Amino acid sequence: MSKNKTKLNLNRRNFLTGTATLAGIAATASVVPISIANANHSEGKKGLPNFINWKNRDALIVHSDKGIETHRSAIGESLITPNSNIYIRNNMPTMTDKQIGDRKKWKVSIEGVKNPKTFTLAELQKLGHATMATILQCSGNGRGFFKHKPRGSQWKTGAAACVFWTGVPMKTVVDACGGISGDAVFMTSAGVDHEPTGLDPKKAMIERSVPKKVYKDAMLAWEMNGVPLPNAHGGPLRMVTPGYFGINNVKHLGKVAFTSSESSVKYMKKSYRISPIGKKGSQYPSCWEMPVKSWITRPTDETGKVKAGKVQIVGVAMGGTKKVRSVKVSVDGGSSWKRAKFIGPDLGKYAWRQFVLETTLSAGTYNIASLASNGSDRQPELRMENRRGYAHNGWKDHSVNITVV
Amino acid sequence: MRILRFLLISFLCIIFKAQTLFADEAKMSKGLEIFNETAGCAACHVLKAAGSEGNIGPNLDTVEGLNYDTVMDIVTHGLGVMPAFGEDEILTKEEIDIVSFYVSNSVSK
Repeated sequence: MSKNKTKLNLNRRNFLTGTATLAGIAATASVVPISIANANHSEGKKGLPNFINWKNRDALIVHSDKGIETHRSAIGESLITPNSNIYIRNNMPTMTDKQIGDRKKWKVSIEGVKNPKTFTLAELQKLGHATMATILQCSGNGRGFFKHKPRGSQWKTGAAACVFWTGVPMKTVVDACGGISGDAVFMTSAGVDHEPTGLDPKKAMIERSVPKKVYKDAMLAWEMNGVPLPNAHGGPLRMVTPGYFGINNVKHLGKVAFTSSESSVKYMKKSYRISPIGKKGSQYPSCWEMPVKSWITRPTDETGKVKAGKVQIVGVAMGGTKKVRSVKVSVDGGSSWKRAKFIGPDLGKYAWRQFVLETTLSAGTYNIASLASNGSDRQPELRMENRRGYAHNGWKDHSVNITVV
Repeated sequence: MRILRFLLISFLCIIFKAQTLFADEAKMSKGLEIFNETAGCAACHVLKAAGSEGNIGPNLDTVEGLNYDTVMDIVTHGLGVMPAFGEDEILTKEEIDIVSFYVSNSVSK
């Protein structure tokens, strides 16, 4: 096979810069130099891209250099997921230190309020200070269980983490701006990580609208698990929308606006819509609130054969936007269930709870499942079939088969 | 007679194989051109075989399971910021077939 290389035409990205016609149009001059576009993609020593070379390779499954999952067995041993084990899902290239510049001078504008303002990170840090725990979960976590093989990373359970965020409550920021003005219906957050790429903002900007009420519990976060928010996770500042899927927790935050309509960018209107297989469009629900969910983290098929006798079945459970109330565990594929015990501290309704069921197992094979409830909803047995494999919380697919010897 | 039949079948097989090889080589060459020029995939993706270093989308050499069907599906329908080259008629069906063949035979090489 020929491996002759044709000359690269880097200006051909005009499909994305919004200047292309279907064929033959002269290349646009608005494309950024390749030195910016390929600034941080090269592979580091551990088999991870160098922008996250500080992560724990053994805890991670690499679906691509921009889609990296946490092993099932690397979640849940402690309540908070260590930064080194947390998954990566980035729609835009992670911004570099050079692109970010002086972190203290990072700016975010607040609009749709009575007194619109632009704050630097240093000013936000004087305005308020709080810490909370929330679950960060990719909308497509569990996509790997769908039989129709939706496009995108084939996540099983590991596009999720429980994280301590430190920052300023969004409500404090809104109060400092005199309150929300007009008839806002949405809180719309926009990242600026598309800017260095030179791509058309309508196609590339991560701008997400969520119902206005979310602002009451939201946070502008600059620390993640006690360290400055890593660039790979949206540093120096990201929006945290508790109980809402990861995409709404906008990275590299540049603007928050209270708006009367949803953002019109592609990532709001077209992407992240939960539509039937074979259909798509903005008439379908957006990936907003996370549903109640749980899964076993130990023992699993990753942890090898289990010795007969007393066994600790451990996992994590989340209630979505409500507190998780109970978890049941089955060792016979859902024929019978026993209530598991919550362990560890309760970090609030937006964090997950660890659970354990102590049981005795003799030699044989077992299908172990968990079923969580938040009082209003409980996990369904089956996945909700949908085009892109979003919001999977069915207990059956998330069960594990183990062998006891 | 048997020998003649054997020789004839062998000859046809060789011709067929040679044609396939030539066709595949031509397809790879055309695929490279589409990847780097016509579609501009190179501006957004790393693919060592094509010498491309774009960093908007994933490094194709690191993406798991990039077989022909997967590539064709993504190129046709788009994914995230990636345009739907088929749905939006940016590429023809033939071009999508060729570039999918090229990418699926080039990753990690």
